[in-house]
Amino acid sequence: MGILMILFTFIGGLTLSAQSAVNGTFGRKAGTIETTLLTFITGTMFLAILILFFGNGNLLAILEVPKWQLSAVFLGVLFLLFIIAAVPKIGVIATNITVIIGQLVIGILIDNFGWFNSLVVPLDSKRYVALLFMIIALYFIYKGNKRTSEEDAS
Amino acid sequence: MRYISYILALLAGTALSFEGAIYGELGKTIGKLETSFYNFLVGSIILGLLWLFFGKGKLSYVVEAPKWTLLGGVLGVVYLTSIVISVPFVGVGITMVAVIIGQLVMSIVIEHYGWLGSKKSKINKEKILAVISMVIALILVY
Repeated sequence: MGILMILFTFIGGLTLSAQSAVNGTFGRKAGTIETTLLTFITGTMFLAILILFFGNGNLLAILEVPKWQLSAVFLGVLFLLFIIAAVPKIGVIATNITVIIGQLVIGILIDNFGWFNSLVVPLDSKRYVALLFMIIALYFIYKGNKRTSEEDAS
Repeated sequence: MRYISYILALLAGTALSFEGAIYGELGKTIGKLETSFYNFLVGSIILGLLWLFFGKGKLSYVVEAPKWTLLGGVLGVVYLTSIVISVPFVGVGITMVAVIIGQLVMSIVIEHYGWLGSKKSKINKEKILAVISMVIALILVY
């Protein structure tokens, strides 16, 4: 089951990068807020159909869950707005690597403290070194991108 | 100006991890597809408001744009649903590692070939070093 899950989320990652490229392209012409709005509306329509056929949860339970569980929607909105603003400026790779570093740092923290009832995975020395390598990666991507745009300019 | 885009992307990443963890919980109560649906429906409402007050782009571009540029929403559905399903099984950390490897591979390919309308940008030494550092970081986290 675990391996299957990991493969599935891998595909999720592929689509996330594809999404940032597609939305960046659309956003250049239509605007950041407009692109995000379109993404959410089409996503809603698509999911409405999926739920009609495959939904076996209880959507009405939304009224009973703790409110903090509902607050994540603001994060989802922020994520898309920020991505759509960044991709046209710094490109797909730089945006994604930077996003990834943000993801990893918070992911490691959430695991360490077991926030939001998630599985607890403690922060050990290996993970500290990992954080160091992420900073190095960020440095290289920034330099690499700067060089590409300098070459374009000349 | 350029570094603001990096800060935005960094914040976007932190939002993504929090979102994954919180929705993992919500998904246990109301169901996985339902959680994604909640996100997109309420997100549409929030953005509808934002757009009414602050939108200064051109939404009508929807009808002239090449159709494939309208697929962002569907791609987002695949991503979010996969996260909501996976987090309760393997934890936020490993879920994010799997997502990340997918993201890395895809963004390198996209940018190198200039797919999906992105600016074509050849791979250079620095970018390869960046990816190697990320892979080392991932192995250590895992």
